[in-house]
Amino acid sequence: MLKRSAAMVLALIIVFSGLGMALALEADGNSRKGKYLFRKSCRGCHAEGQQAKDMSPVDMTQAQWKQLFSDYKKLPCYDKWGNVPEKDVKDIYSYLYGHAKDSPSPAKCK
Amino acid sequence: MTSSLDQKISRRGFFKLTGAATAAAALGGSDSALKPGAAQAGTRLKPGFESKYTVCDMCFNKCSAIARVVDGKVQKLDPNPKFLKSRGMLCAKGNAGVRQQYDPDRLKYPLLRVGARGEGKWKRLGWDEALDLAAEKMKAIGEKYTRCGFMFMAGADMQSTFIHRFAKAYGSYNTLSHESQCLIAGTRAFLDTFGEVPIPDMLYAKYCLMMGANRFEALVTPDSIDMMTAMKQGMKLVVMDPRYTKTAAKAHEYYPIKPHSDMAVMLAIAHVLIKEGLYDREFVAEKTYGLEQLAKHVEPYTPEWAATESEVPAEVIVKIARELGAAKPAAMIYPGRRSSNYRDSTQVRRAFAIVNALLGNWDRPGGLTAARMVGLGGGVPLEEPFYENNPADRVDAGRATLMFPEEGSFKLARDAVLEANPYPVKGFFCYHSNPMQTVANRAKTARMFDQMEFVMVMDVAMSDTAWMADLVLPSQYYLERLDPCSAQQGSSACACVVMRDPVVKPMFEAKPVFWVMRQLANRLELGEHFNFSVEEFRNAQLKDLPGALEALQKDGVYYNPSKLYGVYEGRIYKTKSQKIELFNQRYADMGLDPMPVYRKPAQPEADQFRLVVGRNAVVTQSSSTSNSLLMEFQPTNHLWINPAAAKGLGIEDGDWVKVASPAGKQWIQAKVTDMTRPDTVYMETGFGVLSPQLAAHGRGACIAQVLVDDFDQISGNMAMHETFVTVSKEAA
Repeated sequence: MLKRSAAMVLALIIVFSGLGMALALEADGNSRKGKYLFRKSCRGCHAEGQQAKDMSPVDMTQAQWKQLFSDYKKLPCYDKWGNVPEKDVKDIYSYLYGHAKDSPSPAKCK
Repeated sequence: MTSSLDQKISRRGFFKLTGAATAAAALGGSDSALKPGAAQAGTRLKPGFESKYTVCDMCFNKCSAIARVVDGKVQKLDPNPKFLKSRGMLCAKGNAGVRQQYDPDRLKYPLLRVGARGEGKWKRLGWDEALDLAAEKMKAIGEKYTRCGFMFMAGADMQSTFIHRFAKAYGSYNTLSHESQCLIAGTRAFLDTFGEVPIPDMLYAKYCLMMGANRFEALVTPDSIDMMTAMKQGMKLVVMDPRYTKTAAKAHEYYPIKPHSDMAVMLAIAHVLIKEGLYDREFVAEKTYGLEQLAKHVEPYTPEWAATESEVPAEVIVKIARELGAAKPAAMIYPGRRSSNYRDSTQVRRAFAIVNALLGNWDRPGGLTAARMVGLGGGVPLEEPFYENNPADRVDAGRATLMFPEEGSFKLARDAVLEANPYPVKGFFCYHSNPMQTVANRAKTARMFDQMEFVMVMDVAMSDTAWMADLVLPSQYYLERLDPCSAQQGSSACACVVMRDPVVKPMFEAKPVFWVMRQLANRLELGEHFNFSVEEFRNAQLKDLPGALEALQKDGVYYNPSKLYGVYEGRIYKTKSQKIELFNQRYADMGLDPMPVYRKPAQPEADQFRLVVGRNAVVTQSSSTSNSLLMEFQPTNHLWINPAAAKGLGIEDGDWVKVASPAGKQWIQAKVTDMTRPDTVYMETGFGVLSPQLAAHGRGACIAQVLVDDFDQISGNMAMHETFVTVSKEAA
């Protein structure tokens, strides 16, 4: 079953929601590539038994993902992202947003 | 309408029938499950038999069963009295499963087509030769057309997960299942109302209105069994159906509704519930979004208006609404399963969902319950690769507004393949599914296969789809297989896990599809994605369920005693408004009707009939019509036609008639009966078989040959009941 890490991510949203909109991402990237990139770029840390909370698109609503990615460069883990190109960030965002818990096609598994 | 169906049908003394099931469920005890006789059908077993748990594969329900094995052969199958989801029942089809194991028509070894497609000329291959060929074709098609140029289809089988896994590893987005023939419009509707698909809590319901479902014949566990018990406990069942089904026969009240008018009745029920204040005010105020808009929306949908559309009298609609209101929250509009009916089936089912929400039955006893925690994991994780040269999406993407990207739509994918738009698809692998028999417009499916460069089918018998293939692979039957675990939802009955171990040794050269996928993966340098055994996969599935494996081995089932009611207390609904959406905001944003709008449906011309299809309790589409035991109950199908209509056409009971639509024609014997409306004819699925290697060959007519392939505009679900046919007395 999916672990619910929404509370943790919500806390992040609260922390960063006051920092303004640095980037207005549209969820029109390549969601299928985003799924792959999410695993490659994020799941190294955000997974069971790893240093950060397990994470899946269904942990948050579309509005929450939108908020989170509105200023993703200020996320606490951003310095660990390395040189992820903006195009890849957009693909990852499209995947997370497109399969969020309140999306028309919620992700079935991680 | 003047048929005798106009009369309200009283319920019959069917409660006697519940005896066997409830008696079976009552038996049990810690070690009684594996002893024969707990729910036996009377067959004498030879001394020295063994008893082994299995999971039935005669339909999608996956009932736990016990195989009685003598000298390495299955002699009979019994229900598992500890399996609560079926209430300790194994149905007629389940009992007949043993015949398929020893069916002389089983596929025995790989076969390569050597004549024209569908001509039936084959050459026997060894497995290595067959797999080398398949891998070579998959490699060549992937390189020439991209990996999305190969399409995969898998039925409701416990190993189908491995086909989807293989498709992801190989790199094709084009996977299909039976769901777009069956249920995705209903799934879409309830997901877009409640944020998830409910499981009806039939056992504790006090009132059930059933439309678009036939639960005493098209069996769903535990609903079919619980419906009888609930009626015994006082539940009222009202059925509306154009056809006098066995469910209608058992109902307290039955109304022969005009086809494609369910939404009208439902909107009128909403009208009465709101106008008379019969809805659950507290629940609706707290948990739903859009009552004000809905109240305004349903204002013109009066019972009098709905009566003219549906031919269900206005006073009946008012009475039903009041009875639902009085019985709430333990009152439900049955959500149903198959919703492959109309161009607006998602909106029809949305209307069902909305009335349920007004009744406040969500997450409460006798209403619609949320999925319970089972805890079964996803197995060995897949490191899904990404192929840069692949197209952006599925071949059918964008052809329906809100298609499920993992499911797609067979109808729309087939259209896209035939148009080679947006890209060509030239390879097809089908496992445990039979689209040549089940998908509307068989001629189009045949054309799709004709344009393929390679079609591979794996099944236990030479199905009509296998008959069209280039390479046919023999699958092990379920009694021979080691399968992954499967999670099941049964509302008050259970949240449980079942698994399947081999009961007997495999026959002939039959193999499991897992082995085939692994062999192909190795040949295509994808072996890293299949470097595990089924046992290891199962262990990974069960890792968070300590004791589950032992329970499965001891009882044939593992139960998670998870919360059943009040699951949503303190939780948001997974919708845009985070509430139950009477008014769907996303639909409004997308230009769809945010609440169901009734548009007068097309009706058959004077010389036409609407064709509706369905099944009964002894066949599961084409997968069981060649079973010799079930054939004794159902040797063929007929065209049900009303006596008034038959008289006008000079048709008498048993006459051969031609049924024709724009999709095709079939010849079939007429069953002249007032159990269908004068404007509606009915055929059962699974007959009119093309493959001469099946026992059902030469029996009855095929629905797929005459059904027109329209589709639900939102989900992409097939819309079979949009078919209008002419019927004429004419020898084949």
